[in-house]
Amino acid sequence: MSYLIPCPHCGQRDVGEFRFGGEKGSRPTNPDQLNASQWAHYTYDRKNVMGMQTEWWYHRGGCRQWFLATRSTITNIVEKTWLP
Amino acid sequence: MSRLSTPPSSTLVNRSKPLVFEYNGRRIDACEGDTVASALMASGVDILSRSFKYHRPRGHLCGEGHCPNCMMNVDGSPNVRICSEKVCNGMVVKHQNAIPSPEFDLLAITQKFDFLMPAGFYYKIFHKPRFMWPVFEHFIRKVAGLGVVDGKTPPYRYERQHLRADVVVVGGGPSGLSAALGAAEAGASVTLVEQDSFLGGHFRFQNPESSGFKKVLELEKQVRAKSNIRVLTGAVAFGLYEGNMLGVVQGRRTVRIRAKRVVVASGILERPFVFGNNDLPGIMLGRAVQRLLNLYGVQPGKRAVVVGSNDRALDVAADLLHAGVEVAAYADQRERINDSLESVKLLKSKGVALLPATTAVSADGKMHIRSVTLGPVAGRGENIRLDCDLLVLSVGGDPAIHLVQQGGARGFFEEHRVEFIAKRLGEGHFVAGDSNGVHHEDSILLDGRRAGLAAAQGLGSVDHAAEIADLESRLSANPAVVLNPKTMVAPDGSGKRFVCVCEDVTEKDVCDAIREGFDGIETLKRYSTVSMGPCQGKMCQMSAIGICARETNRTIEETGSTVSRPPFIPITLGALTGRNYHPHKTVPTHSRHAALNAKVISLGDWLRPEMYSNPAEESRAVHERVGLIDVSTLGRIDLRGTDVVKLLDKVYINSWGNLKVGRTRYGVMCDDTGIVFDDGTCARLGDQHYFMTTTTSGVDGVYQWLTSWMAGTSLDVCVTNVTSGYGGVNIAGPRAKEVLGKLTSLNLDSKEFPYMGCVQGQVAGVPCILFRIGFVGELGYEVHFPSFYGEYMWDVIMDAGKEFDIRPFGVETQRILRLQKSHIIIGQDTDAITNPLEANLAWAVKFDKPDFIGRRAIFEAKKQGIKKSLVGFVTRHGEVPEEGTQVMENGYSVGRVTSARFSPHLNKSIGLAWVPTARAKDGQPILIRSKGEWVIADVVTHPFYDPEGARMKG
Repeated sequence: MSYLIPCPHCGQRDVGEFRFGGEKGSRPTNPDQLNASQWAHYTYDRKNVMGMQTEWWYHRGGCRQWFLATRSTITNIVEKTWLP
Repeated sequence: MSRLSTPPSSTLVNRSKPLVFEYNGRRIDACEGDTVASALMASGVDILSRSFKYHRPRGHLCGEGHCPNCMMNVDGSPNVRICSEKVCNGMVVKHQNAIPSPEFDLLAITQKFDFLMPAGFYYKIFHKPRFMWPVFEHFIRKVAGLGVVDGKTPPYRYERQHLRADVVVVGGGPSGLSAALGAAEAGASVTLVEQDSFLGGHFRFQNPESSGFKKVLELEKQVRAKSNIRVLTGAVAFGLYEGNMLGVVQGRRTVRIRAKRVVVASGILERPFVFGNNDLPGIMLGRAVQRLLNLYGVQPGKRAVVVGSNDRALDVAADLLHAGVEVAAYADQRERINDSLESVKLLKSKGVALLPATTAVSADGKMHIRSVTLGPVAGRGENIRLDCDLLVLSVGGDPAIHLVQQGGARGFFEEHRVEFIAKRLGEGHFVAGDSNGVHHEDSILLDGRRAGLAAAQGLGSVDHAAEIADLESRLSANPAVVLNPKTMVAPDGSGKRFVCVCEDVTEKDVCDAIREGFDGIETLKRYSTVSMGPCQGKMCQMSAIGICARETNRTIEETGSTVSRPPFIPITLGALTGRNYHPHKTVPTHSRHAALNAKVISLGDWLRPEMYSNPAEESRAVHERVGLIDVSTLGRIDLRGTDVVKLLDKVYINSWGNLKVGRTRYGVMCDDTGIVFDDGTCARLGDQHYFMTTTTSGVDGVYQWLTSWMAGTSLDVCVTNVTSGYGGVNIAGPRAKEVLGKLTSLNLDSKEFPYMGCVQGQVAGVPCILFRIGFVGELGYEVHFPSFYGEYMWDVIMDAGKEFDIRPFGVETQRILRLQKSHIIIGQDTDAITNPLEANLAWAVKFDKPDFIGRRAIFEAKKQGIKKSLVGFVTRHGEVPEEGTQVMENGYSVGRVTSARFSPHLNKSIGLAWVPTARAKDGQPILIRSKGEWVIADVVTHPFYDPEGARMKG
């Protein structure tokens, strides 16, 4: 891995400076009303798309902020990044 | 073989500067600028190695660092290609893979058993009877193979360098030089990477009277004069990675170059073709011959036959004549030889027989070529046999498109040029010159400039579209030059016909493999091992594809080519790892531990004192008097804001709203699968101000965890990682209050400052945060102070404790003291599937909170029932089982030991272990298998020491 990620604060930086935070998703607001398999779906199942994916990144070696990015899981090209 | 009497003006060798090195115990004279190979050849050494499988003699072949023939051990480094290795004075060079020498190799006996080694023999032979395999394997491993790492030579240190450039040009030949100049003139910063020690590529080792030679000298002058071109020679670009990052190895340095654009102008890879005994020493590629003549002034033979397929081959023949070598014949695979060329005129004037539509059919000789049989390309007609000691093969090459292929491009086979051309290039990638299928002398330069300008488009202020268009039209006006013959395989001839010289794979082996069903190019490669040796197909790819296409009645395009992956050349692991750095952090009191001769160990990133004397003495001080331990490594996070309770209630399984100001609480964090991942204390310093401590190694993760739950929300909390801003110590033991009392005016009375209380105040004049916590099971005060007071604080506390015989204690004693209290260590006693209910933390889980991270999953775990539990144990006979050993029941593993120590104070061996919940009762016996011995232990479900906690609360 050697691709570049444009951090919203710090600009183009090497991917090694970042921590991957996983696919963007949302935590259910009503955990108590979900059955076990619905909860397991939230905790374990990922879309794992082939193509553009919206995901969280954290700039560990820089501004130490979380931000969102769209990245192609095929080419690793990061299309855009923005603050949540 | 010998030195030319007068070296050509193009030579790299300075004959007035002699050097000496050792080859197999023999003294070899060389000159400055020589490669090991050129010096050996000048000294008459022509058998450089023995082949991989059959131990056939092999000599100088490609001369460009690609083929496997010249690999030797140089100063302890195995598999060095000596054709590209410059001689240093005193170098020690040894042969490889031959006993006792390449000239006389006992292992050549394997040739007699070639019937045992058909294609894919390792899938077929030597497997039965089964018990014989280890015997065969031992022999095969010894006989087959390359260099050996002796284990004695000290490892080299590789340095790492990071560079940036607008445009990186790979290849310093004519097109690369033009590309670099073009891009530099357009305003780009350029880095030029060249594998050879010199610039100019194949023009540079042509005859010094040739127009190409003069052109590259002029180009080199211009390139060297440009301040915005950085030139790296002796540097190989081995990989083109994402984000246009090039991996380059230059001697003992790995350079990573981050480029905006990449121009690949890496020329062609010349290779042999398939005919009988095509591996004999004395058979060389045209470029190897030109290098020997024009760069090193070495005469590669006395009587040569040249087989070519293009006009460059004629130049090689002419160069041989210039150097005084007799050329017995010039055979060309083409139907017509262009009479108007200067080289042809020269050949004719010297009476050299020119044989069109002719190719080599087989070669003869034992240790060196003695004659060659030439025959018609079509296969029908008369063969002629000519005596010679040098056979030159100049039949084109493959465009080196490996790097752009790594970058996503595909090679498309062009029928009329008989070569793969890179298309669908990745973003910012360009190909130029020979590697772009442009072989006309003028076009190579024009194409280089075109690629250089195109690469720099948009980087500078000037638009070069007009010039690029002009260059393109001039390029299309120039005639297309074809280098390659239609076929890479000669018609039938006697002798072994090698396709792959690295792995000793013959045409017959390839055909056999295809008949056995491995007819796809990728499966054929894996089964026959063709192209899987050190050259990775550089010498054999086209031959193998050609044979596969012929045998399966497909076109080359249909047959396809194998995938090209990094690295382009073999590189050592040392070059990839670079120099090893082990950064570490020291605590603010570090110098004091050093002065006390503490045994310091590395824990995570930190250097921490493990012990000062021994655990027995240190723990006695804590239990009976007072001890002092540095806890500076604890993670510290400061949280302030109106929503701080909301955040804490979300991330901790405990409740925080009911914590009073001036109190602290032990907290546990889980993730949403209900797994425990960190613990620590969290104190309420003010109404909206909390101070959190985390595990030493967990602080970065916890900080990221907290901020991740705040990202995108409107929570009003300011989270600050203040770990390095503070140092900390814990004063523990029955006399701790008296020690601290001497240093502060704070009221330490248990009513004012009770167990689990916290205050902010001055200690020895330093503003501190104090917690009264049962860190090690005795009365204890954790004092956090600004880190720059570290040494001062240590000194004043040690001084104040002198009258109580205070002792510093290290992490080993701390481990024992905490184990006595059954305190768990997250990550040591828990793992990636531990929920808090199993780890005796059920009391901390506040299900009455509406929601927190992990609640739903822990609730589910509770519903399903707890099946395993973390319990304490005491071994009956005092053994200390190894951590990680199994708890056994009826011959099955039912749990494991996570912590175990001998407690000097209790005079017992105690520990923590996972056991089935049914066993988690006081007095239950458990059986532990440790170091091959059975250990019986009894379960203890309460702290081993002071179970009521009276000592720390008192």
